Amino acid sequence: MKVVAVFVNLIYFLLLAPFLEGVMRKLTAWIQSRKGPPLYQPYLDLLKLLGKENLNSGGNWAFRLAPILSFSSMLAAIALIPLTGQANILAHSSDLMTLIYFLTLSGFCLLVGALGSGNPFAAVGASREMMTTVMLEPVLAMLLILGTVRIGNFSLSAAVSGVAVSRGGSYFLMLVVYLLALQAFAARQPFDIAEAEVEILEGPYMEYSGPNYALLRYTLNLKRMFYAWLLVSCFLSFILPANFLFSLLLQTVLIIVVFVLISLIGATHPRFRIDQALKYYALLLILALIAVGLAVKGW
Amino acid sequence: MSRKEELLNLLKDKLRGKFLAGSSLEDKRLFIDIKKEALVETASLLMKEGARYQMGVGYEAKKNGQGLAMVHTFAFDADSLLVAIRALTTEDKPEFDSLTPFIPGAGWSEREYIDLLGLHFKNHPNPKRLVLSDDWPEGIYPLRQDVPYDLMPPSAEEVAFRLDEAPPGSSIIPFGPFHACLHEPAHFAVYVDGEEIKGCEYRGFMVHRGIEKLAATELTYNEIPFVAERICGICGSVHSVNYAQAVEAASGLKIPRRAEFIRTIMLEIERLHSHLMWLGVAGHLIGFDTVFMQAWRIREKIMWLAESLTGNRKTYGMVIVGGVRRDIDLTKADLIKKTLSEVEKDMLALEKAIIKDKAIHRRTKGVGYLSREKAVEWNLVGPVARARGLDMDARRDHRYAAYDEVKFDVVVADSGDVWGTLVVRIKEIYEAIKIIHQCLGKLASELQGSPLAIEIEGPVPAGQQGLSVVEAPRGEAVHYVLTGDDNRPERWRVRAPTYPNLQAVPDMLLNNKLADFPIIVGSIDPCISCTDRVAVIDRKTAADRILSRQELEKLSREVRSKT
Repeated sequence: MKVVAVFVNLIYFLLLAPFLEGVMRKLTAWIQSRKGPPLYQPYLDLLKLLGKENLNSGGNWAFRLAPILSFSSMLAAIALIPLTGQANILAHSSDLMTLIYFLTLSGFCLLVGALGSGNPFAAVGASREMMTTVMLEPVLAMLLILGTVRIGNFSLSAAVSGVAVSRGGSYFLMLVVYLLALQAFAARQPFDIAEAEVEILEGPYMEYSGPNYALLRYTLNLKRMFYAWLLVSCFLSFILPANFLFSLLLQTVLIIVVFVLISLIGATHPRFRIDQALKYYALLLILALIAVGLAVKGW
Repeated sequence: MSRKEELLNLLKDKLRGKFLAGSSLEDKRLFIDIKKEALVETASLLMKEGARYQMGVGYEAKKNGQGLAMVHTFAFDADSLLVAIRALTTEDKPEFDSLTPFIPGAGWSEREYIDLLGLHFKNHPNPKRLVLSDDWPEGIYPLRQDVPYDLMPPSAEEVAFRLDEAPPGSSIIPFGPFHACLHEPAHFAVYVDGEEIKGCEYRGFMVHRGIEKLAATELTYNEIPFVAERICGICGSVHSVNYAQAVEAASGLKIPRRAEFIRTIMLEIERLHSHLMWLGVAGHLIGFDTVFMQAWRIREKIMWLAESLTGNRKTYGMVIVGGVRRDIDLTKADLIKKTLSEVEKDMLALEKAIIKDKAIHRRTKGVGYLSREKAVEWNLVGPVARARGLDMDARRDHRYAAYDEVKFDVVVADSGDVWGTLVVRIKEIYEAIKIIHQCLGKLASELQGSPLAIEIEGPVPAGQQGLSVVEAPRGEAVHYVLTGDDNRPERWRVRAPTYPNLQAVPDMLLNNKLADFPIIVGSIDPCISCTDRVAVIDRKTAADRILSRQELEKLSREVRSKT
């Protein structure tokens, strides 16, 4: 059963992630008085890209391999997670640091690919992505450390379920921090700074095409879904029923709600500049540290 | 004594023997001929008197055996006066003194004629190639009369524009020739240090169409309005009205009052569409696509209105020399009123959302800042100038068409940045609506049954100068016409508002962040050539062809009839 859980994780994420992009596009369209594409459009986009040609404009192996490495690192991260609060077989050989490691690796591969492309816009995008990662990964780490502090165990399921064990000051402060960071985690307006189409032409993604671009798009979809899932699992774990199927169902609904939120904020904000965003991230980081401090004190 | 006589006397007095002639048919224009040695002296006298530099016009006056001519035009906004000074030089020594050292905004006007006429400008600080493509052969000057309008020299490989050196410690990010934030080809080599802009060099004119040459060799007076309208896909009426006014001024023609009101209405409808379009693009450029979609949704009503009035969403084809081609009757007036009230209502809602949005403030306030002094120095025009505290508007300062009979406010802001431009353009939407309502009132009451156009009696006399300005949505557009033989102008010169505004963009960009490049360039609403083609390429054989007008029309109308 614990082996199957790994595959359930992967299949659940792979199937649902493009649909969530469809939800986002549809809602954004409604806010903009448009009809918007059908909900299944992202699947078609991915299929179409898979049938196109991979242009190796970077001309080196780093550029070529980066998408598949980024994608597989993301899948590795997803394989580890306790989907409905239940640890799977990989829990024995991993902890929260492994999760953070795989997430960072996925982003790092994208950077390597962007720099490998030799395109100045991709380089600007990569430098923005790097700054964002440096500021945001610690916020993610603080969240998981908060859970760990509560339960006193480094396992991933402890870190995730620990956040909502007791709902005191640290819980609410961290919830606020996470909600404020959500758009940035999802790389959506106002924080789609590293892609910024009109400024740097999709930045790191600029030189990619065909299946490689499909992989990067898929990775982004998975990443967004992961952060939505993390919000639900960390902060709302106490309302999820014990039955696996019911739990999964309710979780799916809640993830969709999170995507509604992401779409609404995204459609009603202009993009930040990186210097403005970094100040904002710094504030988030400080608040996250305070939340962990509160948790250590037992609040 | 009027201001015009004052200036005339001043120049006569100071220049003495170097002053040749001063004349004008109209009381708000002054055309002066001077010896070329006096060019700098005259220009600096005018600037000292408070003039604003507009543009340079070069042409070959060979027909009269006079060699090459250079005209510089100046505006006295407070006195509703336009002054043009003309000097001639011989063909064997085609040299003038440059005005650029003390009028930076004259830089392009002179560089243009280095390329097109082979003129030299002594003391020009930056006589680089401006208009001609990099592989255009030396020694062929397209505006010279012996060069045919359709000359196509063979293209050359491996010639490239030589960009200036980037300042030490900075790297170059190439914005263009094609970039998502530029809607037409243009190249900005932006020097950046990290994310901070340390300078920029502009290379444009990649899609220069040579319309002025075409008009001087192939077209007739009455054909040009329709070509003029195609100068700009956004403010076409501005150019057709402007050209017609310049010819009417040169030939002393007074057009029917009703036609002037109809021209005014069409110009303001065009302003509405242009401001809404720009507002949407500005939203898009700061990553706020909801503003983009909503502004364009409102704009669409204007487009449908224009189609009902003229048969076209854009490129109205309403203007001819001597008047207009179509009437706006009471039924059409009702349609206009109905549309305007809808637009006004929608716009108020959108404005409320934009003006209060703190995030928009963060992306536009202090961005692309240029002081009032700099704005004067660069001769900025339109909303870009009004956002920098310059209270100027050709509709009020140089009244044309029916603007002398309508009441409206000139919106001015003093923040000197993109935010100011945004506010000015939003507020002007309501002023435009106000103007149209007043015009419709006049049309319905006093001007019933008046003719729409009158013919010019007999041929237009040659050698007359006409100068006209129209306040385009982006700022003042200037047209100069020198009448000629063969039923066409000898020289017709167009200066769109982007021409002065774009020259100031490197100054606006300085010390801003790279992320602000799109909105700063976008804030002047650059109008480059409006030359888009749809090319169909066969992937297997790589054969390509351009879609014809008929095909495009068929495609666009079929799609619409389905929905």
